[in-house]
Amino acid sequence: MVQSNVAACPASAERSAVPESSVPEAGKLVPVASQRFGARCKQNTKLRALPFGASTPLRTAADTSRSSLLRGKSMTTTTPTVTAAISSGIGPPPTRQGYQLDVKHVTKRYGRATVVDDLTFSVPVGRVTGFLGPNGSGKSTTMKIMLGLASPSSGTVTIGGYRYRQLPDPAGTVGAIIESDAFHPGRSGRNHLRILADATGVAYARVDEVLEQVGLASAAKRRAGTYSLGMRQRLGLAAALLGDPDVLILDEPGNGLDPQGIREMRDLLRTHASEGGTVLVSSHLLSEVEHLADDVVVIHQGRLVTHGPLAELQQTASLVRTHDPAGLAAVLERSGATTESQGADRLIVRGMPIDEVGQRAFTAGIPLNELSPRAGSLEELFLTWTTDPTKKNEVIQL
Amino acid sequence: MKMSRLIRSEIRKLTSTKMPIAFLLVLTAIAAVNAFAVIAGTDMDGSKTFISTEADQQSLMAFAANAFMGAGLFGAIAVAREYGHHTVVPTFLASPRRYRAVVAQLVAVAIGGAVLSFIGAGLTIGAVALSLPSTEFGFLVSGAHVAQILLASAFAGAAGATLGAGIGAVVRNVGGAVTSTVLALIVAPPLVVQLANGTASWMPNVLSGVLAGVATDVSTAAAVGALAVWALVPAVVSLVAVERRDVA
Repeated sequence: MVQSNVAACPASAERSAVPESSVPEAGKLVPVASQRFGARCKQNTKLRALPFGASTPLRTAADTSRSSLLRGKSMTTTTPTVTAAISSGIGPPPTRQGYQLDVKHVTKRYGRATVVDDLTFSVPVGRVTGFLGPNGSGKSTTMKIMLGLASPSSGTVTIGGYRYRQLPDPAGTVGAIIESDAFHPGRSGRNHLRILADATGVAYARVDEVLEQVGLASAAKRRAGTYSLGMRQRLGLAAALLGDPDVLILDEPGNGLDPQGIREMRDLLRTHASEGGTVLVSSHLLSEVEHLADDVVVIHQGRLVTHGPLAELQQTASLVRTHDPAGLAAVLERSGATTESQGADRLIVRGMPIDEVGQRAFTAGIPLNELSPRAGSLEELFLTWTTDPTKKNEVIQL
Repeated sequence: MKMSRLIRSEIRKLTSTKMPIAFLLVLTAIAAVNAFAVIAGTDMDGSKTFISTEADQQSLMAFAANAFMGAGLFGAIAVAREYGHHTVVPTFLASPRRYRAVVAQLVAVAIGGAVLSFIGAGLTIGAVALSLPSTEFGFLVSGAHVAQILLASAFAGAAGATLGAGIGAVVRNVGGAVTSTVLALIVAPPLVVQLANGTASWMPNVLSGVLAGVATDVSTAAAVGALAVWALVPAVVSLVAVERRDVA
């Protein structure tokens, strides 16, 4: 095991710039980024030999125990590196490996229809990323490409530097919900998971563990065809969690869940991210994403509309109060901003820094009674992003 | 991922639904029909000469042709429903090198087809044996020939199931897969024979008869090889198709 610690930031851009030809093969030494959630720019880069599963320096005893259950290996003690990290006072180390998802110039065509169009974004480690877009915008197709279920017409998607197909332990690395009803209705929930456990080499004890975790233990022996929509979602989540993966890719996981279920799922995903996992969740429940996601990626008609930290995106509008809203709107729109009238004397301005709004109003001789940042709701922003024709071919930059 | 784990997973898929029970019921019904034929059936002249010799009884019990067709439907349904229920998605997520998952599926279905066919042949032999005392004839088939019937059924069942599985993976919906399998095994062979003289000996029902010892059109080795070709062609096509196509 070779290890080198560097003090630099994660440099996701550098990782993104790795040429396609450098995607490593199983068995070779590769750098794996592991960023502790909440510790800004604190990066631990490890070089480790594949395949995974061997005890790595930053894995805790609990994590090793979990791996033991999964793979039937005997438990080992906490490594000195972990002990040192804890005693150094920098807080608990991540218990998961960091696998950043990198989508690079992905295009998918079906005949003449372009479903995904030159899509590029990254899903960082230790954060929950919401994947938003109207129906038919290409979210599910993008997720299928990530998971090797569909081939891109061009571009690549890598998970920790690997294509999904190249991952030595796919089920132990990535858990996914793509089809919420991906089970045989005549098969019990437990048998469904045991089939997956057989295929992935996971111990049957883990099946009961995840059934308990998602609240399906009492219905484990029932035929899955008798499950409610919410129970089916829970079964899908249990399947995704079966291999205790570091990366979760979930397509509409909240569909059909009751409020308690949604809250439990939110807690589970937030915990997963805080442990150093990577979470990508698509959803049309915008209020849920607002509560859950740290970052959002928004696509529309297959193209990227915007991406970045949700909190920053929500602050990209300004509220202006003036006696001449029409005149100010004309001035600002000539400079590329979009405006929205709010009553007789108010304007919402987007696409222009707040300082510039004030400067241009001053230059135009229009007095302002109020100029303040305005946090929009995600729903409001989403509708702006996905219906404003002027933003159709423009990526909103932060 | 080890192939043995994938095969075990696929076998659990087959055994954790009621489909094998449904096929066992069909096999039991076929055996009952055979028993009824022995008890109540007669030739045109009212005699029971159709069970009067060892060859006649062996012909009555030769289950291999039925096995090939029945197992073909079994394989087609078993694999096509994977796509219909989307259960193939978690399978391909667990085994992203899809050809491995498909090979495991083909092996598991072949095993299932062989087992069901062996049981079907056993039930038929048992039904005939139990019903013969109601006639003036005894059980005339030797132990070696009984073994031949059983083994021929198992092999034909494995081959038929592989063929059906291949069709199921290509067609990807149950109705289409069943229709395609029926076309391939029941409708197409007579048409092909009509169009090309000399091909009759290479049709599945004749080849299965050769294996069961009730036909001599080709050698046993040639029959084994030809049935294997019938099975492997759609299986290989399915491997290529599954690797190349997106998972719906």
